Amino acid sequence: MGQVTLRGIGKRYGSTEVIRGIDLEVQDGEFMVFVGPSGCGKSTTLRMIAGLESITAGELLIDGKVVNTLHPAARGTAMVFQSYALYPHMTVAENMGFALRMAGIGAAERARQVGRAAEILRITELLARFPRELSGGQRQRVAIGRAIVRKPSVFLFDEPLSNLDAALRVDMRIELTRLHADLGTTMIYVTHDQVEAMTMGDRIAIFHEGRLAQVGAPLDLYHRPANTFVAGFLGAPRINLIDCPSAHHALWQQWLQCQADRPSAGRAAPSRLGVRPEHLQVVPVGSGVPATVVMAEHLGDCSILHVQVAGIAGLFNLKSVRDSGTFAAGTLIGIAADAASVLAFDADGRRLA
Amino acid sequence: MATRSSTSSSADRLAPLMAHLLVGVGGLLMLAPFWFMFVFATHSRTDIFSLPPPLWFGDASLGNLQILTSRLPFWRNLGLSLYVAAASTGFTLLFCSMGGYAFAMFEFRFKRALFALVMGTLLVPSFMNMIPTFMIMNALGWIDQPRALFIPGAANAFGVFLVRQFVIASIPRDLVEAARMDGCSELGIYWRIVLPLLRPALGTLGLITFIASWNNFIGPLIVMRSPEMYTLPLALRALQSPVDTEWGALMTGSAIATLPLLVLFMLSSRQLIAGLTSGAVK
Repeated sequence: MGQVTLRGIGKRYGSTEVIRGIDLEVQDGEFMVFVGPSGCGKSTTLRMIAGLESITAGELLIDGKVVNTLHPAARGTAMVFQSYALYPHMTVAENMGFALRMAGIGAAERARQVGRAAEILRITELLARFPRELSGGQRQRVAIGRAIVRKPSVFLFDEPLSNLDAALRVDMRIELTRLHADLGTTMIYVTHDQVEAMTMGDRIAIFHEGRLAQVGAPLDLYHRPANTFVAGFLGAPRINLIDCPSAHHALWQQWLQCQADRPSAGRAAPSRLGVRPEHLQVVPVGSGVPATVVMAEHLGDCSILHVQVAGIAGLFNLKSVRDSGTFAAGTLIGIAADAASVLAFDADGRRLA
Repeated sequence: MATRSSTSSSADRLAPLMAHLLVGVGGLLMLAPFWFMFVFATHSRTDIFSLPPPLWFGDASLGNLQILTSRLPFWRNLGLSLYVAAASTGFTLLFCSMGGYAFAMFEFRFKRALFALVMGTLLVPSFMNMIPTFMIMNALGWIDQPRALFIPGAANAFGVFLVRQFVIASIPRDLVEAARMDGCSELGIYWRIVLPLLRPALGTLGLITFIASWNNFIGPLIVMRSPEMYTLPLALRALQSPVDTEWGALMTGSAIATLPLLVLFMLSSRQLIAGLTSGAVK
């Protein structure tokens, strides 16, 4: 079992409130990702669940039991640190078996359990080595192994991949997802990387300034963001947002038209509209809204165009799959938006349903 | 142009030569007292004052040792010196590592004030402590007791500061937290995780403490009364008198007193310096 419930969890350092009433239910066996910009409180929340930070408001329940003041080791959680935090003076086997030794488990049984975890992570040949003799990826595996050995009901990961290089990160991402599938244990995973969040999580909790901005399945958040923050945080290049003051402009009119075409018309007038770069199309000059290409990034499979629309400050991002490589700076194009995918937000940034 | 370059190149060659010469002479000057101490230790008093003085080893060392042991409880003094130095080192390492670790890693009330107080003791000149030390030791009934030499200095500001700086610089908080999550008690974290990683700092501190205790003259002078409770520096000093000083025996005693430090230094040079924390993080 590994159900984690946060009820109005808060954290305050003196007079500064860093976490403001988080309510969240992490289901048993779920892979939950905490994501957000730095300083949003995601790591602090994870550390409160681990017991490494005190909880100053609210209740934390693991499997229905309040654990607010329970010692970290007694909560049934295991944590993988960003720095790996391997004990440098112990071998890999000693590192992995340390928690068992602390629990008073005999050497033979320890060796058996460490051996099994090492097999899962394919690090059996490293057991006699010291951390300083391992590569970054190997250290990461050992850190995960140390967590596995404890057979926790909840795994906690604090940005575990951010010290690895890009290629290794992709491998470890897949491996961790598979590990979750194999073990079926609840995992809570903190990252600032939206790709990790989108690809690994059953659900994502997006943090913003110590609050939960939105919780949901990755694609739900992507397609139906609750507010402009979530819309802006997920997706690269960023979503294009256009403000009300330019209401007279052709682009606004066109997007508004898109909105009006949709069946759920007749709601409050939006004050901001958003459309993702892949939902904007290049159309022949003359049709659509005229725009000038300022910069084109050719990625091979698609091109990202940064275009200037007359009367609007700032550039628009466009992800063009076809016609790769044909846009040079200064090219005049027309742009049009997918009717169904334009998002509307109210004055407070909330999405209009 | 050509002449200038040739003079500058000869000057280039001359400069390291001069430097070596200077260092060599300086080294000789430093080593000479040691050399004469070891040489004189093997000569009788009359040989030592012959002209020219002996420059090479003689055969009077056994005789010197006999004079030494007849005038002093020498072996007892030596043993006491070793005992006090070892106890000093042990206690200092234990308490300074605990104090330094606490100041570096824990948050508690009055932490800053307490640390300032500890560091403030560094500003008090040691001579100002002489009379209070005697009065306190006297009140405790510790006069003529070895513990009067190693207990008062067991937790000292220098050691606490050294360990604290080392912990801050090279023991990641993550390690302590990982151990906490692994079910290690706070004392266990100190003993199993922090202490092994402190080895380089403790090696340095241990060496400094041992040497300071070994050479300590003022401390025993204040608290020790009977000659059989003297440590070596005090005992050897007692051998000197204005009229009848057995210089050969004194040099033998001094030479023997130097040996433990030499051995200690040879044993402890390398591995203490080697960083143990490499590979801990990242």
